[in-house]
Amino acid sequence: MNERPDHTLYRELLNLELDGCLNVEQRARLAAHLAACPECVAEREQLRALTGLLERSALPVEPDFKQRVMASLPAAGWESRHPRTWSFPVAALAVLLAAGAGLLGAGSSARPGGAASAYGVLAALGGLLRAALVAGVGVTAASWRWSEMFVEQLLASPMSLTMFGVFVVCLNLVLVSLIRRGAGRHGSGEAAAAGPGAGHRPGARRGSHRDGRSTRGGRGR
Amino acid sequence: MTRGAVQPSDEELVAAVLAGDREGFGALVERYQGRLVNYLFRLLRNAEDAHDLAQEVLVKVYQVLDRYDPQYKFSTWLFRIAQNAAIDQIRRRRLKLVSLRIEDEDGEGRDWELPAPERGPYGDLRNRERAGAIQRAIDGLPWEYRELILLRHYGELPYEEIARLKQMPLGTVKNKLFRGRQMLKEKLQGFLTD
Repeated sequence: MNERPDHTLYRELLNLELDGCLNVEQRARLAAHLAACPECVAEREQLRALTGLLERSALPVEPDFKQRVMASLPAAGWESRHPRTWSFPVAALAVLLAAGAGLLGAGSSARPGGAASAYGVLAALGGLLRAALVAGVGVTAASWRWSEMFVEQLLASPMSLTMFGVFVVCLNLVLVSLIRRGAGRHGSGEAAAAGPGAGHRPGARRGSHRDGRSTRGGRGR
Repeated sequence: MTRGAVQPSDEELVAAVLAGDREGFGALVERYQGRLVNYLFRLLRNAEDAHDLAQEVLVKVYQVLDRYDPQYKFSTWLFRIAQNAAIDQIRRRRLKLVSLRIEDEDGEGRDWELPAPERGPYGDLRNRERAGAIQRAIDGLPWEYRELILLRHYGELPYEEIARLKQMPLGTVKNKLFRGRQMLKEKLQGFLTD
């Protein structure tokens, strides 16, 4: 019995052929069928014509489209989370170091015996750092996530990093000013101890703090 | 350019952009602008709107690029975002999917002309007729066929990506494309012998 070929099947194969999705077996089967079926050959031509027609109907893209897109790209959130370069953090660190060095230099050149004051400032800063580390570790050790979040927030944008830098500088300024104030008291105490009557009290240096305070109090401040 | 030079893949370009190479996104724009604009143009039926929305889509893609999952194709992700944006816009504007008209600056409508090289009064007329017929034929397709035809012919997505994007079996995609093309062929019969 001569069975009529299933054109639907071959037309599906023609569609797959159009999209380049035929495997070797399907391709051979289709070729064998097309050799004996002018109807499916005409169908193939029509499918190709349709594809060509759709392709030719494509709208040309405006010439400046890419430039427009690139010019309108905003600063995406992920950009600050993945800094493009380390130039900003390095620059921020350099500014902080320069500010610290400047403060130390100003403190040491402000009066004779600056080396000792600078040492005092450094020691105080070391003490503050140690205390901050202990406190920070204590707080954040409860959860790694906290520390991760803190670092993430810090690096979230140049602004937050800048704010943190400003905070550190301000903290240092306050600290240095407190230390200098304390050193000033110390110095005035020494001066008072070295003044008239100092010779009458051997060992006044050991009690310089008390003496300083009483001296200042004696000035009626 | 060196002939035969290997072009970076979409995924490599995305990785480069995320590492700080903004120009890598320019390469992606160049690669997809034609397909994206044409896909949106067929949905919105307005050249200017298509360009504007394509720009919005690309900007949005850039903004959320770090959320792209490289285990999927970039084009699938891009066209999913584009399709959602287009559907939103169609709903917002309540576009009537009837005819293909674009507006001049003076507000008068004119038919979109194909950039086919047929010149002269008859050629222009034929181009306009053909362009209108194509858009009407596409608009006349049921939505389930239309979106696949557009993704395949204008988005140039392969079957597998369409299946993933539409979350339908591969066999269904093939079947719907087959049926959609049959319908288009019938509607455009008069233009297939040009």
